Amino acid sequence: MEPVLSRNFDLPRPPDLAQYRARGGYRALAAALEQKPEDLIDQIGQTALCGYGGAGFPLARKWSAVAADAPRPHYMVINLDETEPGSFKDRQLLYRDPHQIVEAILVGGYIQGADRAFVFVRGEYAEGAQGLQRAVDEARAADLVGSKVLGSGYSLDIDVHLSAGRYICGEETALLNALEGRRANPRAKPPFPFVKGLWDRPTLVNNVETVCQVPGIVLEGPDWFKAQGINGGQGSKLYTVCGPVKNPGFWELPMGTTARELIYEHAGGLLDGRELTAFLPGGASTAFLLPEHVDAPMHFDAVAKLRSRFGTCGIIVLDDATCPLDFLISTNKFFVRESCGFCTPCRDGLPYVQDILEHIEAGRGKPGDRELLLELCGKIAPNSFCALAPGAVMPLESGLDLFADVIERHIDERGCPWQREPVREVL
Amino acid sequence: MLSEQERHHLTEHIAGYPEARAGAIYTLQFLQKKYGHLHDEALREASELCGLSVTQLDELVSFYPLLFRHPVGRHLLRVCDSVACHMAGAAALLTEAERLTGVPPGQVSRDGEVTVLPHVCLGLCDRAPAALLDDVAQGPLNEAALAALIETAHEEGQ
Repeated sequence: MEPVLSRNFDLPRPPDLAQYRARGGYRALAAALEQKPEDLIDQIGQTALCGYGGAGFPLARKWSAVAADAPRPHYMVINLDETEPGSFKDRQLLYRDPHQIVEAILVGGYIQGADRAFVFVRGEYAEGAQGLQRAVDEARAADLVGSKVLGSGYSLDIDVHLSAGRYICGEETALLNALEGRRANPRAKPPFPFVKGLWDRPTLVNNVETVCQVPGIVLEGPDWFKAQGINGGQGSKLYTVCGPVKNPGFWELPMGTTARELIYEHAGGLLDGRELTAFLPGGASTAFLLPEHVDAPMHFDAVAKLRSRFGTCGIIVLDDATCPLDFLISTNKFFVRESCGFCTPCRDGLPYVQDILEHIEAGRGKPGDRELLLELCGKIAPNSFCALAPGAVMPLESGLDLFADVIERHIDERGCPWQREPVREVL
Repeated sequence: MLSEQERHHLTEHIAGYPEARAGAIYTLQFLQKKYGHLHDEALREASELCGLSVTQLDELVSFYPLLFRHPVGRHLLRVCDSVACHMAGAAALLTEAERLTGVPPGQVSRDGEVTVLPHVCLGLCDRAPAALLDDVAQGPLNEAALAALIETAHEEGQ
């Protein structure tokens, strides 16, 4: 397929405004301004385009959600808080083609009827945020950002906000609190952000990759978008693969590309002498898939049918040289550290789980520990306030099930069958 | 102390939001860049500008991991220890970093130049094991590459 989102990734440096325009940039903005927003939403609604940040909510439905008489201003928020382990797709857009993000925001803001846009960039992407700010400034100087965009009646200003860290900021209501200068604890829903978001005004929050798909639909139409996908998918997708493979990386490919093609062709297969044990299909907060699933197309519906989640489609490979328990401890450690601390099941439950896992690894596990862990999973996920803890539980619960024999061997043999010396010190 | 020009810049930035507190993170980041970390005086200055008490600001600083209430080295090396980097040897890198700097992660090397911190996924999984030296991506790292990074940070201070 012809690259869409990655069309400028071949350049040694991100294109400046002149270069971006010379390659067809800002044509979609001009084309959008000649059409009615409701017609453009209708075109998006003819496709399966949905949220690529992990939740997969249909985009046209979200963008139609704000009531016509809702109080102004309306805010548009771009979620560029990519912190999910195994996901590094949004980073590519930010560091390689910031003008593409600016154009997508201008097009999206026009369709949504937004009055002001905020781009929430994770603090660790500070250099990328500076590049985005330069692109916004360049676009503003060229009358593309600000009042009367390209001489039309449409105005939109774009603020680039650099976050001060934490995975929870990627949760849309926590993100709103972070933007307002509060602790990034998630908010109760309802009210949903499209009713009461930033400063109690209607706010639509979208992942950056999702928004970047819209200009293509505006220019080429819904049928073109649908034809980009394969195996039941539509459009293109920035896929990533990491872990013990020969060529970890990112590729824009048709939505619906199989895990086999991603892992064994694009990522070059596993390191020499290694075999695939399992993989997380959509970042660290998804359930394991097995070698028997590698021919599954990687899109939302197909992965959901396998009882996992497409998530961000950042594939993390687990090989036979890595102890699955070690892998589980590493992923859970992330969620323990990143819990916002607001609700007890997440704040106290995940560290409790971690403690048991580390004791098992160190050879101090007890018979019944695996069952206790499963019981904790069953209590933490439904009783926590937001999706972070259920996300933490997903790989854990599936790992405790799929690798039951590995866990039991650690308990029976009083240590790790992979390496006799425990990696971690346990108190 | 903030100069008049700096104060003016921050006041203008904060005025761009419907509520002053929305400018708190930007203000704290600005002050941290200026002072190296957010000491009591920095919080007092932020308090005047953002309309939040020092306690409310402390609540933010203690929540957000990229804000520092205590001194850190002039250079920050954040070593990713999330799952892709973990499988690629992040734990050994952190042990080696401790040996090279002579202090445990989180502490400042004796010459004041470097602080090494374990960090959550940096979005550099294709370069595992990866790190950020200040804001610049590094990786894949081995012990030699790590030693070169830490040495550069020390040399810049001399």
